[in-house]
Amino acid sequence: MKINKFIYVLIAGAVVSTSCKKSFLDQKPPAAVNIGDAIKTESDMSDAVNGMFNASRSSSLFGRDIPVLGDVLADNAYISSSNSGRYLQENNYTYIVTNAEANNIWSQGYYTILQANRIINTALPTSTAVGLYKGEAYTTRALVYLQLANFYSTPYTVNPGADGVPLVTGYQGAYTKPSRSKLADVYAKIISDLDSAYAIMPPTATSSEYMNKYAAKALQARAYLYKGDYANARDAALEVVNKGGYTLLTAAGFAAYWTNPGPVTNKQETIFELALTNITNNGTAGLDYIYNPAGYGDILSTDPLYNLYSATDVRKSLIINGKRSGAQAYIVNKYSNVSNPNDRDDLKILRYSEVLLTLAESYARLGDMVNALKYLNQLVAQRDPSLVYASTGDQLISDILTERRKELAFEGLRFFDLKRTNVTINRPVEANSAPSITTIATDNFRRLLPIPQAETDVNKSITQNPNY
Amino acid sequence: MKKKLLLFFVLSIISLNSIFAQSRKITGRVTGADDGQPLPGVSIKIQGSDRGTQTDADGKFSIAGVAGEKLVFTFIGYTAQVLTIEGNANYSVKLKSDTRLLTEVVVSDGYVTRAKKAYTGAAATVNGRENENKPFSTPLQALQGEVAGLNISQNSGQPGANMQVRIRGIGSIGADSNPLYVVDGMIINSGDLSRLSTTTNVLAGINQNDIESVTVLKDASATAIYGSRGSNGVIVITTKKGKSGKTQVRFDAEMGSTSNLSLPDAGKPATADQYRTLFLEGLNNYNQIPANAKSQFDVPQTTTSYGLNGKSNNWYDLVTKNGKQQQYNVSLNGGNEMTRIFASTGYFKQEATTVGSNLKRITGLLNIDHTISKRFSLGIGLNFSNVNQNTPSNGGGFANPILSAYFLRPFQLAYNDDGSLNSTRTGNTNFPSVYNPLYIAQNDKKTDSQTRVLGNATLKWNIWDELKYTSYVSIDYNVLEERQFNNAIMGDGRTSGGRGYDYYTRAFNWLTRNQLSYRWNVPNISDFYVDANVGYEAQKSRAYFITSNSNLYPATQPLLTNSINASTPIAGNANTSDYTYDAVFAIVSANYKNKYVLSGSFRRDGSSRFGSSQAFGNFPSVGVAWNVDQESFFAVQKILSSAKLRASYGLTGNSAGLSNYGWRPTAGYGVNYAGSPGQNFNNIGNVNLGWETAKQLDIGVDFGFFNDRLTFVVDYYNKNIDKLILLNPVSLTTGFSNINQNIGAMTNKGFEFAVKGIPVKTKDFTWTTSFNLSLNKNKVTQLVNHAPFLNGNFQVQEGKPFYTWYARQYAGVDPANGDALWYTDGTKTATTNDYTKAQRVAGKQADPKAFGGFNNTFSYKGITLSADIYYNYGNYIQDAWAQYLNDGTQYTFNKYASNMNRWTTPGQITDVPKYVVGGVNNGQSSSFSSRFLYKGDYIRLRNLTIGYDFKDLAFLKKLGISKLYLYGRGTNLWTKTYDKRLPFDPEVGALVNNATTNQILYGVSNLEVPQVKTYTIGLNVGL
Repeated sequence: MKINKFIYVLIAGAVVSTSCKKSFLDQKPPAAVNIGDAIKTESDMSDAVNGMFNASRSSSLFGRDIPVLGDVLADNAYISSSNSGRYLQENNYTYIVTNAEANNIWSQGYYTILQANRIINTALPTSTAVGLYKGEAYTTRALVYLQLANFYSTPYTVNPGADGVPLVTGYQGAYTKPSRSKLADVYAKIISDLDSAYAIMPPTATSSEYMNKYAAKALQARAYLYKGDYANARDAALEVVNKGGYTLLTAAGFAAYWTNPGPVTNKQETIFELALTNITNNGTAGLDYIYNPAGYGDILSTDPLYNLYSATDVRKSLIINGKRSGAQAYIVNKYSNVSNPNDRDDLKILRYSEVLLTLAESYARLGDMVNALKYLNQLVAQRDPSLVYASTGDQLISDILTERRKELAFEGLRFFDLKRTNVTINRPVEANSAPSITTIATDNFRRLLPIPQAETDVNKSITQNPNY
Repeated sequence: MKKKLLLFFVLSIISLNSIFAQSRKITGRVTGADDGQPLPGVSIKIQGSDRGTQTDADGKFSIAGVAGEKLVFTFIGYTAQVLTIEGNANYSVKLKSDTRLLTEVVVSDGYVTRAKKAYTGAAATVNGRENENKPFSTPLQALQGEVAGLNISQNSGQPGANMQVRIRGIGSIGADSNPLYVVDGMIINSGDLSRLSTTTNVLAGINQNDIESVTVLKDASATAIYGSRGSNGVIVITTKKGKSGKTQVRFDAEMGSTSNLSLPDAGKPATADQYRTLFLEGLNNYNQIPANAKSQFDVPQTTTSYGLNGKSNNWYDLVTKNGKQQQYNVSLNGGNEMTRIFASTGYFKQEATTVGSNLKRITGLLNIDHTISKRFSLGIGLNFSNVNQNTPSNGGGFANPILSAYFLRPFQLAYNDDGSLNSTRTGNTNFPSVYNPLYIAQNDKKTDSQTRVLGNATLKWNIWDELKYTSYVSIDYNVLEERQFNNAIMGDGRTSGGRGYDYYTRAFNWLTRNQLSYRWNVPNISDFYVDANVGYEAQKSRAYFITSNSNLYPATQPLLTNSINASTPIAGNANTSDYTYDAVFAIVSANYKNKYVLSGSFRRDGSSRFGSSQAFGNFPSVGVAWNVDQESFFAVQKILSSAKLRASYGLTGNSAGLSNYGWRPTAGYGVNYAGSPGQNFNNIGNVNLGWETAKQLDIGVDFGFFNDRLTFVVDYYNKNIDKLILLNPVSLTTGFSNINQNIGAMTNKGFEFAVKGIPVKTKDFTWTTSFNLSLNKNKVTQLVNHAPFLNGNFQVQEGKPFYTWYARQYAGVDPANGDALWYTDGTKTATTNDYTKAQRVAGKQADPKAFGGFNNTFSYKGITLSADIYYNYGNYIQDAWAQYLNDGTQYTFNKYASNMNRWTTPGQITDVPKYVVGGVNNGQSSSFSSRFLYKGDYIRLRNLTIGYDFKDLAFLKKLGISKLYLYGRGTNLWTKTYDKRLPFDPEVGALVNNATTNQILYGVSNLEVPQVKTYTIGLNVGL
């Protein structure tokens, strides 16, 4: 009897003490890999580059906020009185430290930089592919830093010694709290990154949705231009023009170019664009959605911008003289694929036209009017057959800036041209605008976005911009 | 291996003490005379001796005795019974209930069942009978105000909505302060498992009428057995089991309607006339500002464009209507000593008053208990439910009907002249931004069909009388089929040519538990025994998700919303998410004469959710109870009829706030680009991340007067929670915004006070009453570097409640110019009209200081009147959408009518600023400040029922009807609030973290489907 009891107890005890294997507690994530194992092969690095571009095309960065602010803070665009409630503070220059876009551009910018740093800092055996991937990471990092420096800092042309943004070039753990680097150092890093990229990248990418070495060089031309280093800007732009193999978008192809939502592979016009597809896009938070009346359609072209285009200018077709909420309005039609179920408009980041304009401006500022006019008219001839420039001196520089405004409208670059040239921003009075101000003098502190409160609350090493 | 050591320990105890039963053994079973249910913990004594024992969980007992000796059976709530030992050795004893309160006789925590007297923990049991047939879509709603220390609030009136449930205050700061839910022994996946629906609740699948009891475990002695998941308290739901005896059939039917709670005056949307006045005044005020000289509004043109002189409609009335409420339940209960069955089925339907918001539910329950042999018994339970919900959007979605009700201008017209729904998107009298909610309700779908099977099997083996082995296995299988369709004409699908989402979510959760229980009667000391349980438990939850999304549907085929009709697939993917727990546990209790009880528990828990450096945690507890009424000196006094002192201390954990893989620093896939796979370093991780721990002290006293017709339960607790997981903000330059860390500590201290009584009891009239009060004081005690940090609109600061609003202090309106003014700082000495120059001040708390319930039932002959009141005091709540609904900043949206109190003339004293299109104070006048914090105090009549019991009607008996009860009921009939400025219903609860901003929406109104009043009539028939 007693023995039976023991057997029972042993059976029961055995069942009770049956424990699971240790692996029972090690449940592996199904859609992620431990960070130390994330980039082990070229294919992994390619995945990381895709991730980085995915972060770049977020609506908090190049997917909407950056291009919108680049035009709304300037004189190209305004928010209609009939709106979805977005960008009203920017339209009226009333943003404060909690402004959503100031926070988003900053946080998504550094998130993208984190991804770029990871690729740059991963050691893989040298190969063409690794050169491409690392080059794309260097270029992306430079691209983001250039945007951050331009939004959050005084223009380099005004004060190179001003505070830039924190330079983060590698993940140092969660608790780093960097202070702002000097603007000159930020620019130096941008330019050296682009040199690094140019040295290791191949000359041709699979499509305009990926980068090649001329994307790095084209961006470097922009950086030098913003810096006011026109000789270097000229040289960088010339490198693209002479060696890049790009062809200028012609007047005949203009309309089709802008209605095409996808990439090009023939090096026509687009040097780099961020891909948006019917599957991977920003939906209702997209740039197309905020401009196009099929979406929110909140943002309209200013009257003076529309009036800059002559009747024969092919670019005029990108603005429709239509109506919003029953009132006359100039509707931006640069992003027309908002309702296209098969594809969405890619985000143009670097175009050949911009390189030509940079080249022309650099020549003009360096006193070479002949070459300046050559490249300016090369572009203008494909936009407005009735227009040939023959001006010189300051007038020529002014004409180039006007063409730059006309060519690159709604691509988010106008505000930086006004910043670097350090001029008063004169915005028109629009009949059906949400509240807005008309004159932004060069001493208006809101020409710099505020460092987000979320950053200053945590990071005591950081200096807020004046007056915020 | 610690658990092997434990086993040896138990085995050695067993082998030492297996000599027993020297004289003749008397065995038997004690059941309740009313219901035939076994009574555990019944005290059995041999009269005139000091020998005695207690019944076990199945009501069984065995005692040594000789013929002629008298056995005395005593049990609280029952009349004592004396039985003389005769020739036979097996007795069936039926105890009759006495007139005293019958509540809380046993406590079942999922692992062991103990008599209340032998229980050292703080736990409260609500008998399921008390809440049967209440027209609530989840059983939780009915519990509101019924248990001291249990705070339940609802943030949405969506039928089947998730609820905020807190036991003894906020237990955690991260995501989850919700208690653990256990149904018939199974630790279930609880809360909102949906991915697409606005709000759902797993517990909506449990039919209130299938619940036998709900036990709320509160202190460490009660919850430490749940280890790393116990610190938020545990809600143990036990479903009805079959009882032997005559088969009983019951049929319940209830029908009625739902209607709007009345809107507070401050929350009424402006009427057409009011909006026109505000708009035109705003335009004129704008035009008069010198800086706007160049950008004048053309007032006549704007008036025409916005149709301010045209037709108008009342949006709140358009999106709300009376809804249907009905439920039907049938149950069968019967069996014999060998096999007992409870079976039921139910149907429940509720429509909220908000257009498109509803729930339908089918439930079924089958519980079978079978005695296989003298030594083996088997229990099997199967609970099935299917819940169908339609859940309109909430918050800022343009498809949110409640947002539409407030935001749409009265001059945006719902219907065209021909009576059809207006779907035009251009023009200010149509819908250029916020959609026509009626068109959306008719043409869009957002549905969830949630099917749940909860099954369990228990095999009990009495190895010998003192040693029992229980093997338990349970599955919790949830399938959610969620579907959303947005039409191509108006709404979120308009730019996609119509779009559809199909989400399939399966959560398969299994648990197995093997437990040995041993009862050791201490030799030579009567009525002194030690009860020991050891066990092993493993649990795994496996979630599986399929997600599909398609665009471009046939344009004019509104019925063809299945994605097979769409031409463009957008997403089609599947994913999984699993977690595991692995534990050994022990529960030991020593009981001397039911006078002194010492109990302890221990659990060693491992989980896949713990960081790699924190694989296991240990959770011990100890509790003592002294039943003073068992002392001989107690009889000396005549005032008290019962008294018990309790104390406990223990360590529990909370790991529900840990995401399944969150501790791992990882690069996640799915961030694709140009059709190619992409990965990003998107989870910062933290390998040191562990569970949160709570050390809780509880001191309680239970006492009764007048033969326990009046009872009191008073508890004091002090819960020190540390290793709190906080989203600690990090510098955004790292690429992340915050990291989860075990960094904080806080305390919850409080008193709970519960009274139950029968003040009047005569032959015809009975009044029973219960009242409870919970006072909780939450205080953050430790933060990293003692530094306060921001958590949305709260400042987390040592020495203050976690949810302390951090707001600029509103100072009213400048009588000179109508600007909003704020105090520059907390001293309130100077004011500014510059929002950015005003400092934020930590002040009011968002968590109630006190809450409770007051329930009364009056019976006169067959008539019963019962009223349940809930109250809540001491919290402040925020209007999250105030910025849009006040002042002229967002002038294209309709406003609260209270904006009519705006400043208009110099010298005027008001607290509503001047109404200017684009706003005053740089558009900041309506930004968040103390202006939009309101007192959250309220008293609500949750339930009022009047019924009549048709007793003893001869014709009913002829029909075979043994019971017929007819009643009428109203819920949420009356609410008293204490802030005239409050624009919404005060019950707002907490919302989960907003994923994009990491802001915790706590204590805010979020334009949710409002709660409803219901009026129902019902019928209970017993056969």
